[in-house]
Amino acid sequence: MTNTTDTSTTNCPECDAPLQREEGVMANEILPCEGCGAELEVTSLEPFTVELAPEVEEDWGE
Amino acid sequence: MNDNVTLLHALVSTPSVSRDEAAVARLLVDNMCELGFDAHVDEAGNAVGLMPGGPAPDGRAQRSIVLLGHIDTVPGLIPVRIEDGLLYGRGSVDAKGCMATFTRAVASVTPTPGVDIIVVGCVEEESSTSKGARFAKDCFRPEACIIGEPSGWDAVTLGYKGCLRFKATFKAAVGHSAGPIAPIAETAADLWQGFKSWCDEHNAEKPRLFDQVLPSLQEFVTTNDGLHEHVSLRVGFRLPMEFALADLERIVAERAPQCEFEFYGHEPAWDSKATSPVARSLRRAILQAGGQAAFKKKTGTSDMNVVGPEWNCPIVAYGPGDSTLDHTPNEHLPLEDYERAILVLQSALIGGGWAQPKASE
Repeated sequence: MTNTTDTSTTNCPECDAPLQREEGVMANEILPCEGCGAELEVTSLEPFTVELAPEVEEDWGE
Repeated sequence: MNDNVTLLHALVSTPSVSRDEAAVARLLVDNMCELGFDAHVDEAGNAVGLMPGGPAPDGRAQRSIVLLGHIDTVPGLIPVRIEDGLLYGRGSVDAKGCMATFTRAVASVTPTPGVDIIVVGCVEEESSTSKGARFAKDCFRPEACIIGEPSGWDAVTLGYKGCLRFKATFKAAVGHSAGPIAPIAETAADLWQGFKSWCDEHNAEKPRLFDQVLPSLQEFVTTNDGLHEHVSLRVGFRLPMEFALADLERIVAERAPQCEFEFYGHEPAWDSKATSPVARSLRRAILQAGGQAAFKKKTGTSDMNVVGPEWNCPIVAYGPGDSTLDHTPNEHLPLEDYERAILVLQSALIGGGWAQPKASE
């Protein structure tokens, strides 16, 4: 018997909604979770893995 | 000098302190026309260049993206020169480098049919009037906007704090300096400390700068006509998102009932999502170019604060350069970063569906 694991899907770390790797997605892209809207960073393409995106940096001036 | 650097050098070499932008606007428009834009100087003095996409093949309504920068600078001429790959000059970073990036990048692509790409070089961004952006906001209804401010070639700015300024004035009868009544200057200093204390209390549970109210004392003048002492303070506040302006005006007035207040220069904070089409397109383009693709929010204000609330579309700021050099005597732009930014923007416009690679001639 052969186990197959779909490495093109993962789950949102915030709401556990399933996420499918889109064609052409890049490592370190920021994607929205379709379930809860959380901003997720793609940390691996194979297997497809996401983490909550880091906080936006703050900068003085314009 | 290649054509990209030639344009940048020409813009930086043309002085354009706020309210004196006519020459650089004309220069930019003439250059845009040579590059195939339909360009003109508008009623506000902005340089406006349209690269038309022609009608959509399916007959849908025309779409547009606006790339809006500014062509004015702060005062302080810096000799324009190129040394060791760095172009020195007032406005090289803030923000003529961004304007040149927009112009050269758009000229290097073909708009997608049905999409117009509009480049606007606004006047008076550095003054409290923001005259150019306030005029431009009524001229266009884009589906996305990129503001021309220095984020760094490999970063994208998602938002800017708002601001509110006021001038407070009051007077008191002259008293002897050895008398019991405090001089008016001390009273004014106490008022300023009171404003700061209020901000400290408000900010106590807010570790992020973008969420805080940040005060600054910008002017403090006392005069004496022999009978009365007069004092005026100019104070500015950097504001977080959705901050009730009326609340701040009320708090300020309550803490200084003896003052007359003139509130001015209000601009609301504005930001946009990291997952918007324009943010994603730029981030992908930067990653493809080998950059880190950081997202930032800034404590200053820009024309994003003016057009963002009006257009209510995905909006970011992008452009080459280190913003810590803005307004400094050492303002300079690495030409390598400028060239990278042009390629990044070109790639983002194509990746986002607003443009196509230009056909080989």
